[in-house]
Amino acid sequence: MLEVKNLIVFYENALALNDLSLSVQPGEVVGVFGSNSAGKTTLLNTIAGLTWHLKHRELRKGGQRITIAGEIKFAGEEISAVKPAERVKKGIVLCRERHPVFRDNSVEENLRLGGYMRKGSEIKVMMEFVYELFPPLARLKRKKAGMLSGGEQEMVAIGMALVARPKLLLMDEPLLGLSPAMQKEVVRAVREIRKQGVTILLAEQYARPVIPVIDRGYVIENGTLVVSGTGAELLDNPEVRAAYFGIEESR
Amino acid sequence: MEGNLVNVLIYGLVNSAVLMLTSLGFSLTFGLSGVANFAHGGLYLFTGYITWMFLHYLGLPFLPAALFSIVIVGLIGTVIYRLILMPVRGIVLSEVIATFAVGVAILEFFRWRGFVTYEFNLPSFVKGSITIAGVNVDYQRLFIIAIGIGLAVFLWIFSHYTKTGLALRGMAQDEYTALSLGIESDWAAGLSMALGSALAAVAALAILPLGLISINIGYDVLLVALAVTVLGGLESTVGLMVASLLLGYAVIITGTYLSPHWMEVVYLAAIVLGLAIKPSGLFGKFKELEERV
Ligand SMILES: Nc1ncnc2c1ncn2[C@@H]1O[C@H](COP(=O)(O)OP(=O)(O)OP(=O)(O)O)[C@@H](O)[C@H]1O
Ligand SMILES: [Mg+2]
Repeated sequence: MLEVKNLIVFYENALALNDLSLSVQPGEVVGVFGSNSAGKTTLLNTIAGLTWHLKHRELRKGGQRITIAGEIKFAGEEISAVKPAERVKKGIVLCRERHPVFRDNSVEENLRLGGYMRKGSEIKVMMEFVYELFPPLARLKRKKAGMLSGGEQEMVAIGMALVARPKLLLMDEPLLGLSPAMQKEVVRAVREIRKQGVTILLAEQYARPVIPVIDRGYVIENGTLVVSGTGAELLDNPEVRAAYFGIEESR
Repeated sequence: MEGNLVNVLIYGLVNSAVLMLTSLGFSLTFGLSGVANFAHGGLYLFTGYITWMFLHYLGLPFLPAALFSIVIVGLIGTVIYRLILMPVRGIVLSEVIATFAVGVAILEFFRWRGFVTYEFNLPSFVKGSITIAGVNVDYQRLFIIAIGIGLAVFLWIFSHYTKTGLALRGMAQDEYTALSLGIESDWAAGLSMALGSALAAVAALAILPLGLISINIGYDVLLVALAVTVLGGLESTVGLMVASLLLGYAVIITGTYLSPHWMEVVYLAAIVLGLAIKPSGLFGKFKELEERV
């Protein structure tokens, strides 16, 4: 479904992704793990087209700060030069890190906006699904999203991405800053979402909480692939264990 | 003295509505896309002159002439965005200089072509006047209040209940999240320029009939829009209304009890005080500007 080959992203002063290749099969849940500034966000943003957008804005101003090279294929089609909105239309939807929501808008307005590229009838169906998936949101419908707790905002952010009807859902650190109970909720949601046939690529710093829901994972460091394998394989790798699972206990 | 007070009450309200209508477009564009459209005054006056030409050269009735003007000025807003603002998007100073240049070019073009005589004016929608508590007010001025209220309600509904309005507000709050949902930032900014410019046109059509059209009005309009926006803060309609009321009454009170010469000073004082005390405006939510200034 998704094929990333030899992806290189170079910011003015940093090589964020260095010759990275990975693939995601339809129906899979795949993890991307790496410490701070390993390049997780850059990877997801580049797949979603946000890096493309940033690059073009820079180009327009006459700067050449950002270089993107390599292939990104979605459903067999090369999409590296496709606008973010077109990628959403094709079914690639990103849920950005730190659960950004539209703070001045109500929860319901946020969700409706998630379906910006979709038809009214689709939006309605998906909103029902989101309220079932996250019952607390149904209660908070009319509340301003900016007034919600971090966990509730994460639900809204995931909800928005769902209303956009993803075929491939990119989740950037959905567990970041959440309480253990909230983390469990999100992991449960990931399971439910996958049951709907949505393919998921999920980035996290710490792998342990999501190991039960992933089929495979990639570990990246400084933009380079270090190891890949099934959840169990990653858990068995002593280096990975030390680097990405050990710290988790102290968090 | 009694009559003076009623006078101040009524004309203060009218003046507030004029200020609000004048600055609505400027503040809307700024609130939605962060673009300070300094061509606002130029577009306002441009509306006056092309409508006058539609009426006198083409012989169109007022309503079609007005609608044409609104649409044309709205389109010009998008064109300004596409041709002039897109290359410098995000560089605030360049945006201001570029749009200001367009505004000055429009205004000075008309001066150069000799649009400075006394024949230029627009007709009132409704002739006649009414006497309220001994004070004579013409219908056009009451109309301005009605249009001001009507537009505020319309914009509120637009921005809260339509897909496009929600998308524009979303883009204003968080560009990258909006992008990741498929909303395009150039589309949003171009549209907010079009809307703001069209609102400048509506304001011109409602307000210009109160007097003669002259080039300097273009510069005054920009000053007023800046004063109200700085005082009211960006993006908040309530802020805009309160700032319009404050300034509207301040100016009329100054004019009545001090001297009409001081009226212009009130706007400048509002800008200076507003920026000095609270750069994000009395009701502003944009901390960003506060840091910038
Ligand atoms: N817009 C940008 N401009 C310049 N450099 C950037 C930009 N975004 C990211 N970087 C750099 O690229 C590298 C990768 O950052 P990225 O945000 O992708 O890492 P990450 O794995 O998501 O980290 P975190 O866990 O902190 O979210 C870092 O060195 C970062 O400083
Ligand atoms: Mg990140």
